Amino acid sequence: MSSSSDAHRRRRRAETPAEQTFADLMNGFSLDSGRKRAPAPDEVPARDAAPVAPQPEVPSFDSVFAEPSDASIVRAYAWTGGRTRSNINLEIETLVSANDQSRHSTGILQSEHQRVVELCHTPRSVAEVAALMRLPLGVVKVLLGDMAERGLVDVHQTASAGGDTPDLGLMERVLSGLRRL
Amino acid sequence: MDYVGSRFPQFGPPGPPGRELTSAKIVVAGGFGVGKSTFIRSIVESDLLSMSALPPERAGGVTELVRIQFGRVWLDPGLALHLFVAPQWQDARAGWTDVVRGAVGAVVLFDIMRPADSVDAMRYFEDHHIPYVLALNNVHSSVRSDVNAIIRGMGISPDVPVMNCDPRVRTSVREALISLTEHAKLDRWRRRPGPDETTPLAPVC
Repeated sequence: MSSSSDAHRRRRRAETPAEQTFADLMNGFSLDSGRKRAPAPDEVPARDAAPVAPQPEVPSFDSVFAEPSDASIVRAYAWTGGRTRSNINLEIETLVSANDQSRHSTGILQSEHQRVVELCHTPRSVAEVAALMRLPLGVVKVLLGDMAERGLVDVHQTASAGGDTPDLGLMERVLSGLRRL
Repeated sequence: MDYVGSRFPQFGPPGPPGRELTSAKIVVAGGFGVGKSTFIRSIVESDLLSMSALPPERAGGVTELVRIQFGRVWLDPGLALHLFVAPQWQDARAGWTDVVRGAVGAVVLFDIMRPADSVDAMRYFEDHHIPYVLALNNVHSSVRSDVNAIIRGMGISPDVPVMNCDPRVRTSVREALISLTEHAKLDRWRRRPGPDETTPLAPVC
């Protein structure tokens, strides 16, 4: 793990103190709320899927994956600091993949970022990340946008990005791919 | 933290790391129970995933999360094709933006017993200039010509390809997707004659 990534991370934190504080505060609230304290058997699979590094106990995070309810959706938006838009253009089919930097800095990532990094060891689309993390699309876009800005995931822009129709080269590729299926 | 890397030694199913990756998407629309999910499942050969999205505020009064089903198949080592079920929002015209934007085109599954169910989708794609094909769900060939007459009578452009399609049969689904992509390509040639596309009506590829 390089010290430069640490420094980068510290810098990011310094740049966005308000958002971090707000998100932490909100997460703290839900941890102590007691609403999620009921035994949730679904927690186990989520934990199994992510036993990569010893990490602090964050039970509420797992239960967000297990049972998306209104309360958990509110909490999910709290991770994003209440933002609903990302600075990076992400379509639902845009592919993202974890890169070397994220692989080497898994231990110091926020838990939700860590989960994204694990998912994206194989390239995944934004829609897949949303489906597999059971988070609303808008939240995932903001989350992935943040991670892309920090250099934790690579975004593979689609030829159709920007609301345009896909270009002819891509269509030709789709066509020959379909014929091979 | 090197052990993290060793736990995931493989980059993934498609191609070697560093390969240029891109993706495309096709929308599958139609009425309830017409076979949209089956259609996608036939081609991706796995269960569909489902994501949730908040409909845009424009949808008016809809506050619940909408579930959008989709499947993904790798067409070549660097190209992932996504197939999205166009969600059944209460106001179909309001919430399709994210799903439809940038799509190659749409397959509208059409049940001849319930033609009205698919009309909304067809209108939407016509209005937004999104290329689409009509896939008639499992129509007996003897009634095909009648159905064609009915469809043309509905004011659907004669350019729109119409075909039979059994959503349960992979080859049938594949044919529908191929003819959609060919139609979309042609449409693209016609609509966007750029400086290096000087012969828009002769798409010989």
